[in-house]
Amino acid sequence: MTKRGLASVAPEGAPSNNAGFAGGRTTLTYADRLSMKITVQTKAGARTFDCDPNEKLLYAGLRQGLALPYECGTGTCGTCKARTVSGPLKPGWRAAPGRSYLKEDRGEFLLCQETAAGDCTVHVPGHAPAEIASLPRPAYHTGTLGAYARLTSDVVSFTLAVDPGMNFVSGQFAVCAVPGVEGGRAYSMVNDPGQTQTLEFVVKAKPGGKLSEWIFAANRDRTRMRVFGPLGRAVFRPEENKNILCIAGGSGIAGMMSILADAGGAGYFAGHRGHVFFGVRTAADVFYLDRLGAFAAACPGNLEIAVALSEGPAPEALKARHPALRFQTGFVHAVAAAAMAGKYENIVAFVAGPPPMVDGALRMLIMEARLSAKDIRYDKFG
Amino acid sequence: MAWKRVCSVDGFAANAVRKFTVDGVEVVAVNLGGDFRVIPPMCPHMEEPLGESGLYQDGVFTCTKHLWQWDLKTGAKTGVAERDIKMYRTKVEGGELLAFIDKPLEYEYVEE
Ligand SMILES: Cc1cc2nc3c(=O)[nH]c(=O)nc-3n(C[C@H](O)[C@H](O)[C@H](O)COP(=O)(O)OP(=O)(O)OC[C@H]3O[C@@H](n4cnc5c(N)ncnc54)[C@H](O)[C@@H]3O)c2cc1C
Ligand code: FES
Ligand code: FES
Repeated sequence: MTKRGLASVAPEGAPSNNAGFAGGRTTLTYADRLSMKITVQTKAGARTFDCDPNEKLLYAGLRQGLALPYECGTGTCGTCKARTVSGPLKPGWRAAPGRSYLKEDRGEFLLCQETAAGDCTVHVPGHAPAEIASLPRPAYHTGTLGAYARLTSDVVSFTLAVDPGMNFVSGQFAVCAVPGVEGGRAYSMVNDPGQTQTLEFVVKAKPGGKLSEWIFAANRDRTRMRVFGPLGRAVFRPEENKNILCIAGGSGIAGMMSILADAGGAGYFAGHRGHVFFGVRTAADVFYLDRLGAFAAACPGNLEIAVALSEGPAPEALKARHPALRFQTGFVHAVAAAAMAGKYENIVAFVAGPPPMVDGALRMLIMEARLSAKDIRYDKFG
Repeated sequence: MAWKRVCSVDGFAANAVRKFTVDGVEVVAVNLGGDFRVIPPMCPHMEEPLGESGLYQDGVFTCTKHLWQWDLKTGAKTGVAERDIKMYRTKVEGGELLAFIDKPLEYEYVEE
């Protein structure tokens, strides 16, 4: 049997008892070696797929081409809610914030957390958004960390050499499980999309966060980890022919970098406008400004990139170093609202970052920009 | 079974979304601009409290959790929403917003 669950393939040298997504067990009994049959009942009918021992139901379904509803893929949002009809499930992360959306006494559970202990039938009430079916099918990969670099006091970037290679669309993310940290973490790809052997990521430390502590403790080059992806539907679709608005808080810039590389590389800004707003706290928190400056300089007039500092104006020296960028003061969604008034025609908006920032930006895009929901794509990083 | 007072319309700003408890029944009231709607407090999608997640603009009501939207004149779903929103009958009398609240309107969240 091929071992597919993120937990079942512990990176080399990892403590074997907490190396992956399911945690706990790594020795398989004979019964565990058989994959389980999961039948999913949806409004569109019933479908059956295989699920490996210790594999999350969501990942098993998605890698076999089922369109299942999800958003974060990592236990926080509740979007992957389902209900057991029959068969034994094994509970995953008990403290998952997404469980607040469940009625557990009625058999509701999270597809992205629970695994199966035998054949199961489950009911999925929500429709998966139609576009999920048109995106690349996710799979498991082994990732080897490299190019570890500290960009600021609390931002690290790194690459993952992935085997097998991955095909992703700009704006997508992958779930990574590192040795010694329980559960997976979602990170948005920074680099140029398409079929690739290398993924690039940027991580902003969350105080007290487990993966944050792991990645900041030491240079992690050559660490092997498990990766599941690509995931997410906050993607850039050039065929929509829309002007682009990006509003990013902190590491929310990750997916926007991929979108800018994708669009810029294809000459998209020759015929469309791009407006990018990148929010951080102070001048000490900025990163990627050289790359952003190069994007803006390559598309003069049509691509405007602004850096919003919430705690005060940018020093003159910083402005002088990045003449192709604009610097403004304030919270990023407020800066974007002021700059964008009257410019919302034919816009598709991308929003990513910490949840309060994303909520502020969504409110602005609905109440002020009056965009329709189909033209708003977001990832809440929490 | 009766018309019940929700609130005074005085000071209820246009486009505002507000929470009330009417005789023990939680509701959310929305000012469409002189015309009011009173709806159950939870999103028909995944029970997000609409008093916090709901936004009203230009006839359209949005739950910011997953951006489901409804035409609040009729309660009909639009965009990616999969179910209509339920509404209590309302009227304004003597500066008061009244809703016809017989029993709480609820959604069946666990479907068969
Ligand atoms: C779609 C998406 C894209 C993201 N992209 C980025 C990005 O590009 N850059 C970035 O810096 N951040 C990104 N994030 C946030 C990132 O996934 C982490 O939440 C963040 O790095 C903090 O991780 P932590 O381990 O330090 O904190 P922790 O508080 O330890 O954990 C944070 C998250 O890890 C998961 N988790 C924690 N414990 C367990 C457990 N026992 N079992 C299972 N799961 C568990 C949960 O999802 C939890 O919310 C993204 C989030 C999402 C949802
Ligand atoms: S997708 Fe499962 S909780 Fe977000
Ligand atoms: S909970 Fe309201 S749109 Fe999903």
